[in-house]
Amino acid sequence: MRTRTTRQEAERSVSTSTTGTPAGPAARRGRLRLDGVRKVLGGKEVVSAVDLETEPGEFLTLLGPSGCGKTTTLNMVAGHLGADGGVIEVDGTDVTGTPPHRRSMGMVFQSYALFPHMTIADNVAFGLRMRKVPAAERRRQVEEVLEMVGLDGMAGRHPRQLSGGQQQRAALARALVIQPDLLLLDEPFSNLDAQLRVRLREEVVALQRRIGTTTILVTHDQEEALAVSDRIAVMADGVIHQLDRPREIYLRPATDFVAQFIGEVNALDGTATGGGACEVAGARVGATAVGDPPAQGAGVRVYVRPEVVRIQADGDGLRGTVRETRFLGSRIRCVVATGAGEVTAALPFDAQVPAMGEEVTCAWRPSDASMAVR
Amino acid sequence: MAAVGRLDGGAVSAPDGQGDGPVSGRGSSPPWRTGLLLALPAVVIFALLFVAPLFTLVANSFRTQTGAFTFGNYVRFLGDPFYRDVLWNTLKVAALTTAGCLVIGYPFALYMRGRSPRVRNWLALLLLSPLLISMVIRAYGWLVVLGPNGPVAAVLTWFGIAPPQLLYNDTAVLIGMVHVMLAYMVLPLMGSLDRIDPTLVPAAKGLGAPGWTCFWRITLPLSAPGMLAGAMIVFSLTASSFVTPAILGGPKVKLMPYFVYTQATTTLDWPYAAAIGFVLVVVTTGLLLGYSRLLRRGHGEVVFG
Repeated sequence: MRTRTTRQEAERSVSTSTTGTPAGPAARRGRLRLDGVRKVLGGKEVVSAVDLETEPGEFLTLLGPSGCGKTTTLNMVAGHLGADGGVIEVDGTDVTGTPPHRRSMGMVFQSYALFPHMTIADNVAFGLRMRKVPAAERRRQVEEVLEMVGLDGMAGRHPRQLSGGQQQRAALARALVIQPDLLLLDEPFSNLDAQLRVRLREEVVALQRRIGTTTILVTHDQEEALAVSDRIAVMADGVIHQLDRPREIYLRPATDFVAQFIGEVNALDGTATGGGACEVAGARVGATAVGDPPAQGAGVRVYVRPEVVRIQADGDGLRGTVRETRFLGSRIRCVVATGAGEVTAALPFDAQVPAMGEEVTCAWRPSDASMAVR
Repeated sequence: MAAVGRLDGGAVSAPDGQGDGPVSGRGSSPPWRTGLLLALPAVVIFALLFVAPLFTLVANSFRTQTGAFTFGNYVRFLGDPFYRDVLWNTLKVAALTTAGCLVIGYPFALYMRGRSPRVRNWLALLLLSPLLISMVIRAYGWLVVLGPNGPVAAVLTWFGIAPPQLLYNDTAVLIGMVHVMLAYMVLPLMGSLDRIDPTLVPAAKGLGAPGWTCFWRITLPLSAPGMLAGAMIVFSLTASSFVTPAILGGPKVKLMPYFVYTQATTTLDWPYAAAIGFVLVVVTTGLLLGYSRLLRRGHGEVVFG
């Protein structure tokens, strides 16, 4: 009952805060805001001053290596861990001190955390039972959500009688049936084999787009993050290094960590020449500054993904000698030794492959690379 | 104790999160053969030292002292209200000891579960400490503690309460038995609690269940196998225990094992002693089987939910 009260309060506060916008469907709900959230565990600050704000209906991913504080952050949002500082708000309501059973969060755990002594139907109905939904209505909603995740006919089974993928769907159904403000996914695909993982994550994204519930995904898999997210927050050592759309994160990393964690990157040291340009090994190259443009003369590092590097016979760009070319199937890998070190290019399979030892120019569009102050 | 063997394959097991296909056993040799080999030493010991003597016991219980076949021993036992009382009292003490161990042991097991391995080791040692001392010495210790000049009486007197009779009654036996048996309840319970996925309670909380509901609907039913195992061990050990009840129960409280002892050593009526012993075995086993069936049928959930 109390959970529902919180929900109503939340809805009320949304309708007042979004005056002017047409009263949309469920997508208007689920605005999560973290302001300076901190957590100390065992004397170590595992999350330090995390700021974050989601749009309602957004799919946001916390991406980082293990121990970066992403799961701790998620657990603070869910209420399983108390924050040692900062504020957590959902739709304008401060929930920082609210116990988890009074927040409206649907969480899917890495282990799925299905109750082994209950049937799938009872598992899914659990949240509704806690909300005192009458039995007939409960049954209807359970049936509906099981059909939605493709588990119709499995209602009477026990979790151990289901495959890993089916258990995952059941956990998702259990989280969604309570119509949560936020859907929290803690590495939900990591226990599945590669093929199933991709299929299920496509399904989850499609489902999320359809029902419009704001979703926070925690993962260490950068490919997964790029594939599913509206925006990605890359975390390391308890702080968010960059929070942006997948394309920006990939092409224009803001820090060394982001650049190295997500795929392969060419990191070239140079000097800013002002006006969004810089000089690397005597050549003028373009790159987009993430944040404030660095002052003229400042030491910068330019991040260029191999896929965006073009190899030309001449023209503007970084001159160098071809050291290695290798056919990799989907791409051709070409390494060029330049004055700023080796530059790797991943050329399309039908590209003109330069000969070994040939003098070439490495070029890219300024919008496809980033630079940050060293 | 066929029921004990079935515990692991019983109602509750952790979900298997791996893969998409149904879980199946693997390996080339038939699993039962490897299993049998592993169980062989225990099977041999049980066959030689338990099953064979049990048959002798049963055979003896149907004989007169001169060796002729008779139902007389059982007729005598069941026809005598005194012995029926003794049987009833034995089961009562065993049941109360089991209940006492459960009530004291469950919170202790819950507390232990949340501690670090180091603390857990110390707590386990504490729990096992009564078993490190000889039963006789331990029982005499209780005689001192519970006696009219003991510390319990002194504390009660200091508070102005007239100390009740603490020795030589069911209460004394109960206190002494719970003290010894606690470990047999807590250790299986710990095993059961440890096997519960630690994310289940957070999952239930996230779905709107307050702490107490989480315990009642998740932790308690999932620890049923541990409670069952603990209860079976405590009940059967208490029902057949001799030293502690004999010392702390004094002349008034007499349980079945005591009569087996006196019939065998004082009266030298071995067939009757065998009959008393076998009645105890049958009744205890019957109760435990019924109890485990009750728990298993409900998958834990219905019984407690």
